[in-house]
Amino acid sequence: MLTKVHSLASRGLEAIEVEVEVNVAGRGFPGFNIVGLPNKAIEEAKERVRTALVNSGVEFPQKKITVNMAPADIPKEGSGYDLPIAVGILAATGDIPSFAEAPEGKPSAYFYGELGLDGKLRHTRGVFLLGMLAKDKGVNQVFVPKLSANEAAVVSGIKVYPVGDLLKLVRHLRQEKVIRPLKTMPTKEVISEAEVEFDFAEVAGQEQAKRALEIAAAGGHNVFMAGPPGAGKTMLARALPGILPELTEAEALEVTKIYSVTGNIEPGGGLIRRRPFRTPHHTTSRAGLVGGGSKPMPGEISLAHRGVLFLDEFAEYTRSTLEALRQPMEDGVVSVVRAAGTVKFPAKFMLVAAANPCPCGFLTHPKKECKCSLGQIKRYQKRLSGPILDRIDLHVNVPFVEIEKLRQRHTPGVKDVHTPGVESSEVIRERIKLARKAQVVRFSDEPGLFANAEMRNKQVKKYCRLNSEVENLLQQAAVSFNLSARSYFRLIKVARTIADLAGEKEIATSHMAEALQYRIREDS
Amino acid sequence: MWQDWPIRTIRVENKGFPERLGLVTPEVKKLYYRGNWHKRDFKHALAVVGSRRMTSYGKGVVEKLIPPLARAGVTIVSGMMYGVDACAHLACLAAGGKTVAVLGSGLDVTDSEESGRLYSQILQSGGLVLSEYERDSQPALWTYPQRNRIVAGLSGAVLVIEGGEKSGTLITAKLGFKQKKPVMAVPGPITSSNSLGVNWLIKNGAVAVTSAEEVLAELGIKSHSRSEKELTSKVALDSLEVEGLGKRILAELNREPLEVDELARKLGMDVVSLGQKLSLMEIAGLVKEQDGKYTSK
Repeated sequence: MLTKVHSLASRGLEAIEVEVEVNVAGRGFPGFNIVGLPNKAIEEAKERVRTALVNSGVEFPQKKITVNMAPADIPKEGSGYDLPIAVGILAATGDIPSFAEAPEGKPSAYFYGELGLDGKLRHTRGVFLLGMLAKDKGVNQVFVPKLSANEAAVVSGIKVYPVGDLLKLVRHLRQEKVIRPLKTMPTKEVISEAEVEFDFAEVAGQEQAKRALEIAAAGGHNVFMAGPPGAGKTMLARALPGILPELTEAEALEVTKIYSVTGNIEPGGGLIRRRPFRTPHHTTSRAGLVGGGSKPMPGEISLAHRGVLFLDEFAEYTRSTLEALRQPMEDGVVSVVRAAGTVKFPAKFMLVAAANPCPCGFLTHPKKECKCSLGQIKRYQKRLSGPILDRIDLHVNVPFVEIEKLRQRHTPGVKDVHTPGVESSEVIRERIKLARKAQVVRFSDEPGLFANAEMRNKQVKKYCRLNSEVENLLQQAAVSFNLSARSYFRLIKVARTIADLAGEKEIATSHMAEALQYRIREDS
Repeated sequence: MWQDWPIRTIRVENKGFPERLGLVTPEVKKLYYRGNWHKRDFKHALAVVGSRRMTSYGKGVVEKLIPPLARAGVTIVSGMMYGVDACAHLACLAAGGKTVAVLGSGLDVTDSEESGRLYSQILQSGGLVLSEYERDSQPALWTYPQRNRIVAGLSGAVLVIEGGEKSGTLITAKLGFKQKKPVMAVPGPITSSNSLGVNWLIKNGAVAVTSAEEVLAELGIKSHSRSEKELTSKVALDSLEVEGLGKRILAELNREPLEVDELARKLGMDVVSLGQKLSLMEIAGLVKEQDGKYTSK
């Protein structure tokens, strides 16, 4: 007898409905065959399905079993087909009632999940994608592993059945003991206060660097930090997630999709509510960073989508790896082209790069002597000053902090202004929230544009009118500092964000003057 | 481009050959040069030598001393090497002065794009680039000390800015002693290994100098640039209306170069408004940022 069960295949982040046809024939030698471009994991499903069924107390039919997965020309991979195949066999042998197709030929349910030999279902990646697909296609029921069910439960309008093991599913389908569908999880629920590693108040000194990160977080700008080892670059970067604005609902869904496909959601986890913070090591391959592989998978930059990509020891990355970042940084998407087709992954991330000022790192260190020759330093800085640095809005120097100097009081006789730099992350985050709000209002006519950093030159001209005074200052700075046309526009964007942080409608000279502090130093 | 300038030769028996150079041993018989040779340029010639590994202190010294010297009509003679040499040439050019570079290689050999650029700049400004080697001869370890005897020989005095122990800088200074010329040295911080050489020189007969006026006096040139210099910086200050804060910033920076964070702590203000002020002051040329630290100009 022939039955059809429905499931999903993914290509990049795109989901495709797959029909799993199972035929159990009374005639012919007993056997078990799977066709329809399965990969090795699916070939091995035979053993898992057979054993799981037997261990669940179901007799495995000694008949000729043929499984076909249509459309047959799309390669399929992963272990999620265990469940549809098992269900197909059960239905074909009459152990469970076969599902009548819903009217208009729509499938009535999706099945997806990996089986253990004991019949239990394991956490399987891509369940969120299945939920989205079900909603798109108007399929009402989704049967997925209990441990992964929270991912699908984010999607409204479908019934998600968390399946613990095969036997429970059989009982449910026989309507002996019903599995209750999960309640849809409201995505609007306040995104949990991100617990963070470091609070800004904990970072000693580094007021200017903190301010640069605040501006970066407010406008979505990329940041480059240079300073000797031990100055606190890594700590500053790690404190950054604590001041980032919360993910919006739409953003959270985008991020969850990527994390679900790559299997980065913990068992039992649902919607990703925190902005991603990714810290790939500098030996990460190009494919690992930007995405790739024969079956294209998202890389670190896509995992950092809507969040922060922190590249420590920036100068240690190979040139080709850094070059590969260029196009995604401009476009916010990375296209992985393969003979089988092009796959696009979103990659709108905030780049935070950190590097030593010279190969040994101690060039600007107050106590230790730098051991590099001038040639080495030149070569090092040349390698850094490639086209990537040109795409970074904020450049900040992170000096080594001598603890004694932090304790030292300022010059006597000077009125005690508020002690700067002890603001907590929470205070800063509130300012950033307001600045972000101002940007959302500003760009209400521009779909897909949320932050100042994402403006193109045309939009800079449209939204960042400079009054003659500011224009004048910028012209003078361009001459004194030998600014390129590109940094000219970057400065305007940064000044715009600074004005937003101050709650000002217009960019004032003070905002532009501050922005100049974070310009790229071209000749040094 | 420097390649476009013809190479000419001058011999010891030619009229334009500076007498001073005739006294150098081993004898210099002929020189190749690019640019225009005027004997009068060598009247007030000062050899400026120093470390290749120039620190920000060394750079500060060059930028403080060389421009007033150049404006007072002193020709700066040096070796076009990166570090103090190149910096001295550049500072001289920027001040509109005459400068002469003596190479340790042939005139068609440059070691980097940068020195090529400096080469062209020197020629365009009416300066000279010269060498005693054939046009395409490569430099060797021994050609640099040989070149140094010409640097010292062309000049009326030697000024040393930064130099470690056993450096080429010391060789030139010692050649200056040997040629019976005034050798001046700018004292360096005793904590820097790059200043061991200059401080040793001061202990062993070199004149310690700390201002352009002292150098001019040593060269026997009357200085009237002092008042002029004071005047210009005053004008700049007034025109910018550097009120209380600016003055306090300059006072701190005159003492030592500082990072923004540290300066903010010293002045008891927040980095945002300090940063704004510093940007404006830097555009106005009152302060300068180098490797993350601000210095007064």
